[in-house]
Amino acid sequence: METNNIEHDLSLAVHELSVAYEELSLLYRISEIYASLSVDEICARIIDEAINTISVQTAAVLFLDEKGEKLYTKAYRGAWESKREFPKDDGILWKTIQAKKSCAFCKIKETEYSGYIPMISSLMVCPILGKAKTVGAIAVADKEFGEEFFSKDSKLLMAIATQAGLAIENAFLYSELETLLVGAIRCLVKALEATSYWTAGHTERVTEYAMGIGQTMDLESDLIEKLKICSLLHDIGKIATPKEILNKDEKLSDEEWIEIKKHPIIGAEILVELKQFKDVILGVKYHHEYWDGRSGIFGLKHDEIPIMARILSVADTFDALTSDRPYRRKHTKEEAVREIMRCSGTQFDPAVVEAFLKWVNLQRRVF
Amino acid sequence: MKKVIVIDDEPFILMMIADKLKTAKIDVITLRESKNALEIIRNEKPNLVILDWMMPELSGIDLCNMIKNDPDIAAIPIFMLTAKGQDSDEQLGLQCGVERYITKPFSPKSLLDMVKEAIGNE
Repeated sequence: METNNIEHDLSLAVHELSVAYEELSLLYRISEIYASLSVDEICARIIDEAINTISVQTAAVLFLDEKGEKLYTKAYRGAWESKREFPKDDGILWKTIQAKKSCAFCKIKETEYSGYIPMISSLMVCPILGKAKTVGAIAVADKEFGEEFFSKDSKLLMAIATQAGLAIENAFLYSELETLLVGAIRCLVKALEATSYWTAGHTERVTEYAMGIGQTMDLESDLIEKLKICSLLHDIGKIATPKEILNKDEKLSDEEWIEIKKHPIIGAEILVELKQFKDVILGVKYHHEYWDGRSGIFGLKHDEIPIMARILSVADTFDALTSDRPYRRKHTKEEAVREIMRCSGTQFDPAVVEAFLKWVNLQRRVF
Repeated sequence: MKKVIVIDDEPFILMMIADKLKTAKIDVITLRESKNALEIIRNEKPNLVILDWMMPELSGIDLCNMIKNDPDIAAIPIFMLTAKGQDSDEQLGLQCGVERYITKPFSPKSLLDMVKEAIGNE
């Protein structure tokens, strides 16, 4: 009899251990979501984890809108009314948000909430709390086996929601910082362009072309982000070029060209304090280098020239050719493309030109 | 009844896996040592072997190689459990003919799903 009891206790203990180990493995896996700074990616990941770990058919992540007045669906899998918004104080989702703890509503059809979300029969909701404020909620519905949610399910959902809250808030902060940074850079560029009417809009267009080339080349997303900043800043050194030269209505003299050609190095010197932007600075510094190394300012060639600089060189030239200059009318887009093809392998990296041509073909309808 | 042999020097892991697999009516033999495991595998001819990588005396990889070199039992699928997580380890494990490479801590539920997939759900 006693042996039976011991065996029973041991079996319970092992079962508990198994539940704890499940939670541990979930935390271990989900802690990796911090590596992602994309809110969409984080949401997709926590939905997968919720469905697999809690064995449910449906999971949804809901976000609180900016005013904190309604919940809307950010991501979901399974049977969920994705377009529906849940206004404040409306029903069970809000109960959870207000209580700030997870709530399970089993056999929903037999409760006062029957018909609240018609296609589901049992529901468990947990708020997603950031450090500063409530982000939203995660809802799971309809277990694969049975209708009841148990305390172990609630524990697992809370573990997911806790990690999700911090990761999502982190991603929000990152995105705000990035917007602030790019906004500040754009202000700087506007200030620069205000001093010369010949170059108005040049930076934004070059940025658009460079991003097009970079995306066609399938560059990694963080390199694309850096390329964007590099493109926005590429002519920042012209802040030190005398206005009379930038605004001159005639062809430039040799001495004036020498002044103009200083802008990449001055740009790099201005930006040197931005320690995190080492490769952006090199992109700015070398964006007038020639692929074959013959006519550039520093005489670098081939792979010695950073990829961002090689892309910028094509984008910058394309915009210069298709814009009016004091001493010449602008070329047509077709003429400019031909000129860039002609200089592939000498002035430009052939691989970048190839991507540029592909991108131009995709943009045909725009041109 | 399908049969699975689990070899790991951590007793809790053995108990937990056995508990989980038994819920699916799978016969489980647990071994805390790897040194006599080859003979037991030969005699029992399980449907699947779950092996820990890091064990004293005989490592999971060595035992795996021994199984794969024995024509009688070479076809038995092997899951490798380990706390190691680097890609190179996984490569090595997969090169030895390991069916799945599972990093600890793993989800017992997912393990059961993988076991059912590997041995067929009867």
